[in-house]
Amino acid sequence: MATKEQIIDALKLVIDPELGVNVVDLGLIYDIDIANEVITITMTLTTMGCPLHESMVEAVRHVAQMTDLTKTVNVELVWEPQWTPERLTPSAKQMLGWGNS
Amino acid sequence: MKSNSEGMTTPTNIASSLAPPFSMVSKYFLAAVLSFIVLAGLCALFAGDMQGHHFQPKLLALTHIATLGWVTMTIFGAMYQLVPVVLEVKLFSAKLGEIQFWLYIIGIVGLVYGFWGFNVGAHFTASASLVTLAILIFIVNMFFTMAKVTKWNLTGLFLLTALVYLKITALAGLLLSINLGFPFISRIHLDYLKIHAHLGFVGWVAMVIMGVALKLIPMFGLSHGFSTTPTKVAYILVNIGLLGTTVEWLMTGPGWLLRLYVALLAIGVLAFLFQLVEIFRHRMKKILDIGMKHSVVAFGYFLLSLVTGVFLAFADVGDEGVKQALVLTYGAAVIFGFFSMLIVGQMYKIVPFLVWFHTFSDRVGKEPVPMLKDMFSERLGTIQFGLINFGIVFTLVGLLLMQPHLLRAGFIVVFLASVLFAVNIGNLFRLRIHYGN
Repeated sequence: MATKEQIIDALKLVIDPELGVNVVDLGLIYDIDIANEVITITMTLTTMGCPLHESMVEAVRHVAQMTDLTKTVNVELVWEPQWTPERLTPSAKQMLGWGNS
Repeated sequence: MKSNSEGMTTPTNIASSLAPPFSMVSKYFLAAVLSFIVLAGLCALFAGDMQGHHFQPKLLALTHIATLGWVTMTIFGAMYQLVPVVLEVKLFSAKLGEIQFWLYIIGIVGLVYGFWGFNVGAHFTASASLVTLAILIFIVNMFFTMAKVTKWNLTGLFLLTALVYLKITALAGLLLSINLGFPFISRIHLDYLKIHAHLGFVGWVAMVIMGVALKLIPMFGLSHGFSTTPTKVAYILVNIGLLGTTVEWLMTGPGWLLRLYVALLAIGVLAFLFQLVEIFRHRMKKILDIGMKHSVVAFGYFLLSLVTGVFLAFADVGDEGVKQALVLTYGAAVIFGFFSMLIVGQMYKIVPFLVWFHTFSDRVGKEPVPMLKDMFSERLGTIQFGLINFGIVFTLVGLLLMQPHLLRAGFIVVFLASVLFAVNIGNLFRLRIHYGN
């Protein structure tokens, strides 16, 4: 049985090919809920109408599934609350070219 | 594919959901890149012919390789790729896109051949009709696609408006082409040429660029929290300015009203450039990659084109030779400085994504997939960026000062840049062939 931390680690494999930053450090993962039979991941994307929409959602679902094959994985894509740059982690900012500030 | 559907792993084929077939879209990009090489090569070979008045066979031929073959071909490919994802609809018909491509190619070749030797008889008219038909097919395809859109945005509005201008530009072009062989328009042909050119440059190309930039530049730069008011102002002013200018050219010719409309148009463009500055100020991705570097320079040339255009509309250039040199410089600033630089830059963003999406999107999280920037050579791109910048500066100065040798040197350097660019883009397609599924 996978813990929340294991799932988060797995999700770091899903990298936005344009930005080169994974979905966790981008702050796209809002919530991970582990119930008896279902893992529900609530996430967003940086932009509505993002061309990467489906591949990101499918990849998140896939890697989460790999952490626990016995459960059903649901990925809920939400636009509220809207993603803001404040959600970027320091390491994401560094990868995007920010100094050490 | 429903992301939250019940059940275990369901096989998905992401690439087939909203995106049109890879082969259809990539044809347009490949033909566009080829047109760019041909354009730059012919410009270098025939640089000596580029002086005096702009209304001459070879210049008309070259201009149409640029506008139809290079610029509009790129926009067709980009819109086929992006409209479905940005507006979240399925393309009405990929088959029509395929048919349109071949009609369009044949039409352009015939048209350019006709201009080149000034063989403007029946086959010329037939070629112009083919181009117009292909454009009509594109517009119909886009209209039916957009008819299904439920969530409209500013980008959609710009694109829809641009399609209307494209239709008018094409029809005006068709009338002009018939008029060359079988004169029937009593007014001066050159007045109509000016209208045709500006409806195309501003109404079609710049309108598409403004709409698409509003969507893509923030997406690439990860910009959030900026106001879109400047874009709305730009939309209104550019439209009033362009329509007003067209009516004045048609009806009365030069006068204070014409200048007023040109001024409105110019303020509209400035509002858009201000929007870009705002987007840049708000960007989270600080690194400027090769695609964005090209784009920034291109928008600088947009400003330069604007200044030159406004100068031509307002200043009274007495010397006819100087005026003709200015008109040529203006045209080259638009076509090479603004359009070509921007297309090259945006192709470094769009084509890797196109290949990535169709090749790797099903594999994310399952196996290592490349980042977009790793799919082509940034080093080659940087060399090409240097070359194209030098080449364009030489070209513009050569045209302005009427220095044929400098002009030729400029075009040779642009040609070299176009070849390096083609190698980089070509390698992306080889990647697709190598990994294709």
